[in-house]
Amino acid sequence: MSDRITIMLDGRPVEVDAGVLLIQAAQDAGTYIPRFCWHPRMNPVGMCRMCLVEVEGPGGTMLTTSCTVPVSEGMVVHTASETVKKAQEGVLEFLLINHPLDCPVCDRGGECPLQDQTMAFGPGESRYVEEKRHFEKPIPISDLVMLDRERCILCARCVRFSDDIAGDPLIEFLDRGNYTQVNTFADEPFASYFSGNTVQICPVGALTATPYRFRARPWDLEAVESVCAGCSVGCRVSVQSSQNEILRLLGVDVEATNHGWLCDKGRFGFQHLAAPDRLTTPLVRGEDGELHEASWSDALDRAARGLAAIVDSSGEGAVAGLGGSRSTNEEALAFERLMRHTIGTPHLDAAMGDALDARLLAAAPRRGLIGDLEQASTVLVWGPDLREELPVLYLRVRRAVAELGAGLVVVHPRASGLDTIADHVVRYRPGEGGALLARLAAGDGDLAEVRSALDDGPVVAIVGRTGLTEDGDLAGAVAGFAAELPDASVLAVSRRSNLYGAIDMGLAPGMGPGRVGEDPGRDADGIVEGLRDGSVKGLVLLGADPAGDHPSGTAGDALSRAEFVVSIDLFINDSNRGADVVLPAAGFAEVEGTMTNLEGRVQKVNRLVPAPGQARPANEILADLADRLGGKWESSTAESLASDIATLVPYADVSWEALDRGTGGDGILARGGDVVYSVPTVSTSVGNGMALHLGRVLYDRGTALMMDPSLAKLTQKPVLHLHPDDASSLGVAVGDQVRVSGSDGSAEVDAAVDPSLSPGVVYLPFNLGVSVGSDPSVTVEKVT
Amino acid sequence: MTDRILTVRMEAHPADSNTLDRYEATGGYATLRKALVEMSPEQIRDEVKAANLRGRGGAGFPAGVKWGFLAPAEPRYLVINADESEPGTFKDRQLLERDPHQLIEGIVLSSYALGVNHAFIYIRGEYARPARRVQRAVEEAYDAGYLGENILDSGLALDVMVHLGAGAYICGEETALLNSLEGRRGEPRLKPPFPAVEGLYAKPTIVNNVETISNIPWIIANGGSAYDAIGPEGSRGTRIFSLSGHVARPGNYEVVMGMTWREMIYQIGGGIRDGNELKCWIPGGASAPWFTPAVLDEPVTLDDAGRLGSMLGSGGIVVMDETTDVVAAALSIVKFFAHESCGQCTPCREGATWLERILQRIVTGHGREADIGLLLDVCDNISPGLRWPPAQTTICPLGPSLVSPITSIMTHFRSEVEAMIRHAEPAGV
Amino acid sequence: MSWPDDVVERAEVMVAKYPESRSAVMPLLYLAMREDKGLTLDGMRQVADYTGLTPVQVESVASFYSMYKRDSVGDYIVSVCTSISCHLLGGDEVLEAVAEETGVPPGETGSDGRLSVEGVECIGACGGAPAVQVNYELVEGVTPDSARRLCRWLADDQPVVISSDQMQADFGGIRSFEWGPAEPGGATGPVPAFGPLGTEGQRS
Repeated sequence: MSDRITIMLDGRPVEVDAGVLLIQAAQDAGTYIPRFCWHPRMNPVGMCRMCLVEVEGPGGTMLTTSCTVPVSEGMVVHTASETVKKAQEGVLEFLLINHPLDCPVCDRGGECPLQDQTMAFGPGESRYVEEKRHFEKPIPISDLVMLDRERCILCARCVRFSDDIAGDPLIEFLDRGNYTQVNTFADEPFASYFSGNTVQICPVGALTATPYRFRARPWDLEAVESVCAGCSVGCRVSVQSSQNEILRLLGVDVEATNHGWLCDKGRFGFQHLAAPDRLTTPLVRGEDGELHEASWSDALDRAARGLAAIVDSSGEGAVAGLGGSRSTNEEALAFERLMRHTIGTPHLDAAMGDALDARLLAAAPRRGLIGDLEQASTVLVWGPDLREELPVLYLRVRRAVAELGAGLVVVHPRASGLDTIADHVVRYRPGEGGALLARLAAGDGDLAEVRSALDDGPVVAIVGRTGLTEDGDLAGAVAGFAAELPDASVLAVSRRSNLYGAIDMGLAPGMGPGRVGEDPGRDADGIVEGLRDGSVKGLVLLGADPAGDHPSGTAGDALSRAEFVVSIDLFINDSNRGADVVLPAAGFAEVEGTMTNLEGRVQKVNRLVPAPGQARPANEILADLADRLGGKWESSTAESLASDIATLVPYADVSWEALDRGTGGDGILARGGDVVYSVPTVSTSVGNGMALHLGRVLYDRGTALMMDPSLAKLTQKPVLHLHPDDASSLGVAVGDQVRVSGSDGSAEVDAAVDPSLSPGVVYLPFNLGVSVGSDPSVTVEKVT
Repeated sequence: MTDRILTVRMEAHPADSNTLDRYEATGGYATLRKALVEMSPEQIRDEVKAANLRGRGGAGFPAGVKWGFLAPAEPRYLVINADESEPGTFKDRQLLERDPHQLIEGIVLSSYALGVNHAFIYIRGEYARPARRVQRAVEEAYDAGYLGENILDSGLALDVMVHLGAGAYICGEETALLNSLEGRRGEPRLKPPFPAVEGLYAKPTIVNNVETISNIPWIIANGGSAYDAIGPEGSRGTRIFSLSGHVARPGNYEVVMGMTWREMIYQIGGGIRDGNELKCWIPGGASAPWFTPAVLDEPVTLDDAGRLGSMLGSGGIVVMDETTDVVAAALSIVKFFAHESCGQCTPCREGATWLERILQRIVTGHGREADIGLLLDVCDNISPGLRWPPAQTTICPLGPSLVSPITSIMTHFRSEVEAMIRHAEPAGV
Repeated sequence: MSWPDDVVERAEVMVAKYPESRSAVMPLLYLAMREDKGLTLDGMRQVADYTGLTPVQVESVASFYSMYKRDSVGDYIVSVCTSISCHLLGGDEVLEAVAEETGVPPGETGSDGRLSVEGVECIGACGGAPAVQVNYELVEGVTPDSARRLCRWLADDQPVVISSDQMQADFGGIRSFEWGPAEPGGATGPVPAFGPLGTEGQRS
């Protein structure tokens, strides 16, 4: 750990960490120095001047900003002298002379650092009698953020976050001197995936979030800490509600994961919980073929009867389970028990055919931590476009590279968010990743430099599927290669929120709870295939929408052949619209439990609001269903399931009590287990014609997102991206219609040109309403 | 005894002192030719250090000492600060227009001494004519082999680029200038790190004023000790003063320091226009606190000016006669600084405009009793203690600079301010 | 809209000359301003393309500097210095005279788009106060009366190239110093006349 030194702080000797900034050291020692521009996760700029203190030096005692001076042994500091007090009062008075003081109508009122510090340190009255600075107010600078320049105190936190942390320099200082303002370019909005962070760190009410404006006063809010369920990074959040409705999420600064940041999908993706379409009663298919409201007992009876009938007629193996990756660990364990033990089928999968081998996710060779990025010399990203799929992990990689100086190698079929800061960018054709890996490992030709860059350890490798037309085993082979690099840490990533926890709870074929081996069974692809050929007849869906999420795009058709489908969900979607029984489940912030992130880090999620109507926690629904199927469960509450989880070897240290004690902390790592991952070899199919890269975008047409009014409007329409050479040989101009035909269908979409693709490769965003299957081989023609 | 170094050529050859032909014909580039063969970079640095040449941009920091701070990392850059913008100052403009090769030879010698292969001349955008002259001279120097890949076959490579500013006084502050040269807003940086360690593109960089570097050829030709023998201790060498305002003979004057202010204003400047009485003067550009006739017989040196509560700064002397409305004059200067404040730090951004508005109110006859105390207290919140050398709550010295005219009129002409307020119309009428 | 070939060529040379392309922002802004007689959104976008910045980063830089005009400006910008030395010697009166003679208030451009008037801070001509610049070409020792004549000359003659020497001879007075040899060229628009920018014109 860092060295400790002694400084004299207001006349008392205090021991502080060497090398930290004075403002931080003083805070650690219990002395809060007021500040506006300084933020512990950003480089100091010393602009607001609020944190002026006196430091004694050889040239006498000098006023200096405590956010810009590192402490040194013996430093003598005065934070409350008359000179300091006057300087701070002076700065506050300067900040207030042009401030509108519209606190009663300001969203920030009651939690405003400017308001608070004015009370604590400011002068009693203003001597400024001139006209204040005026700007049009407030102006929308994106679909999510409003800007009030009159309230702005020009601390540049938003500018610095966007430039330095997010790498989206879309909001800047304009003009000069007394006319300086923050703004965007006239026709280029603040369209950053991370824009909400600027609202959270704005020290006044200059930036406000459209979904939260005028919804509540801070003193009316109730809050719990929890984990964002948007993806598998596991960002710590404070969930805040008023009158039983969630109104906002704020990032909580956790060293291990998010450093306080959130992506906008995570931050604003809570409105679906209160959507009018939310399921509030059980639904049962009637004689008329329609779904009708039913009582819980009738619905559960019906579900049990239907599943039992299939077991009776066709055996346990004719029933399968899909889902659980958006549930808590406790719910996932209940699902595993129902399927594998009460019903007795080995066919269950939390993934949707879009992830990686469960063994790789649970037991990657040299499995690493996000925090390893802080020490990395080199980062290899051969996986999804992190900005689109795991946005806060993208921020952590950005920090490792842009701020801490690590080298970066990115391998992806097209331009990804990290390219601008990468030292090496390697492109390839989907389907030919295996050959590329062999060439990279050998350092062939143009890859020699890349290969030698990877010899500079410690190396953090982030591996995953670059797209959905790619063989999932490729990531495994890359992980195997990366694990041999110097001081390697490997993060095998897949984005769905609690996929890692669900796998640890045994929701994967051949893997039981606690990362132990189990009888082999069908994975999602196999289950969809079984539905299609009739070998799988009954299906239980837990928060799963294979019709929308399975890469083939044809799972919906397969589902329609099932004899009996039970769905536990928050909404009606394309997968359960034809189900026999639909049971309404409680969602995020409506249940208590744990989730496990992509590192195997277990964190507590907490309940803040009641579930709507008759919706219930999934584990209780599953227990009742098990009861009707003859299962004798001893534990059905989340709390008792949590105790069972603690008996699993990797989760031995995990208890709610321990996690709650660590509120705001780094959670508990679940490590170990019997499962080993054997690195596969991948074959390369060198294709002719066009190869499809099917990549994810952050704002896709997932059900929850489409139910979220703030985010739904951010989804784009699907566009096929072509290399300019291909576009010209096909005679296609930007905006023309093209027909793309793949393994499972064809679609007509607009064309766009993307020079970052290799010739012969086309890119189609996944889940924007268009699907042609997940085989890389496609044909493209112009629609005339 | 040498009494002029920088302006000899332009005075003797007004028709073509800016050309390469004339420069060479009057001994130009001979020093470079000799130094590249006979002197090591270290020897040149030693001569500059021995010269005790203090920077001519305003801060007066010894150039040789500044050079000594240059970090070893590569590449290193030399940037010539030709962003002359301090009101009352126009000396660099003359050096740029009239003797650009003297500057260029200084740049090559300095670059050799500092291990620099890329130098920039940052000229303020309003100096289009001087910039053209310098650009032409740079082109001539390339053609003649004084710049480029292999200067005079010495193996020394040096590129020099002329970069135009675009109207921002603050870019005269060296770190703001570097930001500007990097294509950013000209906002001063936090120091440390100093440019000599992390300057242009975060590489070691020396920023020197035009006049400072124009002295280098003479210093290398004649030796540092010869330069150190000129003028009083602490103010060695010659210096160009820009005289303006109500003086009878405004202009640039290269002199050896140490004469009295009386000699400066009455002999060199020819006294006050129309035979008027001297009221006060600014001794070193608009940032400097004002002097009154009480110090007329004090010597003109850097250290004496400091002792008397002001500075020689950029060498711009602005003389005001008895007819001057000093409150309006102070307002003109405060308005300048308010206009030129970069806006990044709170006290300067907000304080400058506030002070301007209070003064405006007083000048237009709407002052109030409380305004004098208010002016001084707002000033105190920018430059605590209102002392000299100034303290500051701001990032850069622009804050204390805008305080100077106000403390000056309050110290020397408070009764005039009070009278103006006393005769004010009641507010709101 | 894109720039003509010669401007594109200049832009590319600029970007290549600096150790880092971002440094070319300032000269490129001059090119953009000259093309559009003021900075347009399109012009700033072009600069962004050449320098790898976002348009708002370019605007952030452009709006910091007084000489980049985001409103369209006239063929001639008449800049009257009102800083301390010029203030002491009648710069404010010169500005008033210019505004009255042209009918264009300081900070604005005439309705015919020909001429912009501005009061500016120190232009380094204090020894020749009061001083005026037309398209950044200087004339020193101006009086309210000679300033009016200067404005009439701009309106009547509509000179293509603005030359300091010519203006000084016709409208100037005391100078800060001896100017030395005559300059062959001058300004051809409301940006500084400077060789590498291609903005310098030769007087016929």
